[in-house]
Amino acid sequence: MTTALDLANPDTFPSRRDEDWKYSDVRRLLRTMPPASPVGVVHGGGPFFEHGGDALTFINGRAVGDDHFTAFGDHVVRLRFVSEASETGHTVTATVGARRNSKLIILESHEGAGSAYVAHNRLTIAAASGAEIVRIVLVDEPADALSITQASVTLGAGATFAQTVLTTGAKLQRFETRVKHPGEGTRVRIDGAYLVEESRHADMTTEVDHVGGNGETDQLTKGVVRDAGRGVFQGRIIVREGADGTDARMGHHALITSDRGEVDAKPELEIYADDVSCAHGNTVGALDESALFYMEQRGIPADEAKVLLTEAFLMEVVDRIGHEGARERVRAWLMERL
Amino acid sequence: MAAVKETVEAVKGLEAYKHGFVTDIEQEFAPVGLSEDTVRFISAKKDEPAWLLDWRLQALERWQAMEEPTWAKVDYVPADYQALHYYAAPKTKEGPKSLDEVDPELLETYAKLGIPLREQEVLAGVQGAPKYAVDAVFDSVSVVTTFREELAKAGVLFMSFSEAAREHPELVRQYLGSVVPVSDNYFAALNSAVFSDGSFVYIPPGVRCPMELSTYFRINAENTGQFERTLIIADKGSYVSYLEGCTAPMRDENQLHAAVVELIALDDAEIKYSTVQNWYPGDPETGKGGIYNFVTKRADCRGDRSKVSWTQVETGSAVTWKYPSCLLKGEGASGEFYSIAITNGRQQADTGTKMVHLGKNTRSRIISKGVSAGRSSNTYRGLVSAHPKATGARNFTQCDSLLIGKTCAAHTVPYIEARNGQAQFEHEATTTRLSEDQLFYAMQRGLSQEEAVQLLVNGFVREVLQELPMEFAVEAQKLVAISLEGSVG
Repeated sequence: MTTALDLANPDTFPSRRDEDWKYSDVRRLLRTMPPASPVGVVHGGGPFFEHGGDALTFINGRAVGDDHFTAFGDHVVRLRFVSEASETGHTVTATVGARRNSKLIILESHEGAGSAYVAHNRLTIAAASGAEIVRIVLVDEPADALSITQASVTLGAGATFAQTVLTTGAKLQRFETRVKHPGEGTRVRIDGAYLVEESRHADMTTEVDHVGGNGETDQLTKGVVRDAGRGVFQGRIIVREGADGTDARMGHHALITSDRGEVDAKPELEIYADDVSCAHGNTVGALDESALFYMEQRGIPADEAKVLLTEAFLMEVVDRIGHEGARERVRAWLMERL
Repeated sequence: MAAVKETVEAVKGLEAYKHGFVTDIEQEFAPVGLSEDTVRFISAKKDEPAWLLDWRLQALERWQAMEEPTWAKVDYVPADYQALHYYAAPKTKEGPKSLDEVDPELLETYAKLGIPLREQEVLAGVQGAPKYAVDAVFDSVSVVTTFREELAKAGVLFMSFSEAAREHPELVRQYLGSVVPVSDNYFAALNSAVFSDGSFVYIPPGVRCPMELSTYFRINAENTGQFERTLIIADKGSYVSYLEGCTAPMRDENQLHAAVVELIALDDAEIKYSTVQNWYPGDPETGKGGIYNFVTKRADCRGDRSKVSWTQVETGSAVTWKYPSCLLKGEGASGEFYSIAITNGRQQADTGTKMVHLGKNTRSRIISKGVSAGRSSNTYRGLVSAHPKATGARNFTQCDSLLIGKTCAAHTVPYIEARNGQAQFEHEATTTRLSEDQLFYAMQRGLSQEEAVQLLVNGFVREVLQELPMEFAVEAQKLVAISLEGSVG
């Protein structure tokens, strides 16, 4: 696909023939422009309500108030993408920034209600030099929704970006994060966890582009697929010529606990500099039989043992969240869905 | 420190590309360009049965409807398919009956390349030295195949493809295109239409091939493409080890090599296929010339417990585009891929493998070592997939890349597709540069920087070198040293 996705222009809908969308064929499900979603009303404060902060809310593609937010000093912003529509489509364009040396926590929620909607979220995040951004995302959407979130993140010199995304998928769901660090000495942690059941599809696609030197990227994505669910992980780390001193690691590990589940992974390294240290690891498999046996032997019923092992497997991602309050909220969210 | 001594000696023997000479020999060409007439011309030259001509024509039709693929991470000026000779053969009288009738120029060429075509020469070395039979392919034709009688005693068929098509049409017809169909991809379709020669091997049930088989490919003529086709069938319970080597003269224009290799392993059979690819890589400074190496290699492990092991040492070619693959269909079938890909100068390589797990309890193992130096680009691209029925499938993949210098590139693009809950796939990859500490250590002990680099690289690729048959491993180790010449300082 050469042009950016635009719901108003079906020619831009990617298909599996586009290398980047090989495992998430939008065109198979969507061929024409969906009718525009109606005006909606926002209920409640979202899953992160109790954490306070400013709210930046969108419903069915429309901003409730501002469509951008910029942090000076320390801030928490609750970024809410609410979809409450049936068989209609909407696009959100939002911008969030953190000024020099500021600290911003983005508590992002994708709250879907209704059915068979098409949501397209375009988010631009910019961290000025020395800024620190933490982005924690919970994605909760109906089984028949089609949703695509594309975030483009730019980091200034010495900036830090730490992201954790948790999702349960949708009919077709793509969560894309593209991080560019032109500046020196940036640090990125980009994590995710997916738990897909029934015939849901969750696609986590990331790209981290090291342009400046001495950058660090640490990535961990874990997934559990049940029933006929499908998990997709595409991670790309690019190290440009001159980005010496880059240290990048990427890990993706998935469990398939049914016969019909599917996991597709494409962890890529694209390296044009020599003074680097890059590695990736990828595993796909079933739950450890010997661990299951061990637990059953000690009187834990098989089903419970499976849940425990699955929980332990996914929680590694949650444990890496630095913000204590949000971490516990995310943990509770995941437990409810296990 | 035997390894060090060996490396030092290898360095002494360095030459930029020692196979770059041209053999001045009278040759016969097909008219320039590709059309139905070209295909008919080739088929007539080979005295082929009608079904094979039809098969070729069908492939040509498919090819004409296809577009050249562009997805690989390589950048090159496409070949002008209408400006090539699709057939070039040394002029001979009625096919030589014995080696004495082979043009001395040709024998000289192979002697220069160090390929033993005289059976007694093979035996002349140390007593008890392993024998290996050679099929020598010069441009479009096979000039000689050695040790045929001895092999025939064991029931092994080893001959040029053209001969096989005449003498064993039933086998050729049954298996040709059954692994790589005519329309598999652009270059496979092109090959199917115009393939000229290659080797044919059939190992009967229960036979362990008494010696290593090998084919040596040489491109000589200007403006020609080489399109060889190799077909190896290992019947039930048999074993064969096959080696392939290739070189070409240094020329300013790019030459096309589009081969197809099909391997078939039936129940309990095992094929070991090793390649040392040393086509002319082009000028390291300007990037001018060199071979386009666009090859389709695939093994069909259709038998239960069958096994195919690919080992490749890729040091040559301007552009390499190849993925030796295994279709693991039989229950308990296994596939292996060991690869060393070294790029220097302005070479580009996009290579790797596909392990397609279709049967129960199939296993595969991938070890890939990429080394990039100079201004080159080296990509590992590999697929590991498990079909819903491939329960108990297991794969282990390791791909390591080593960068030497600031202007080269190394990429890793693995595709992992698991479609059942009882497959277990593990993949790990690393990209690093040569360790400063190790270099320092080696240099402190009196090695020059270049020697130290070669020593470390040899250590880096050792795991794969060990998989090669012994004679080849020694050659390959030297080749590794030669390929890296000029990569430091």
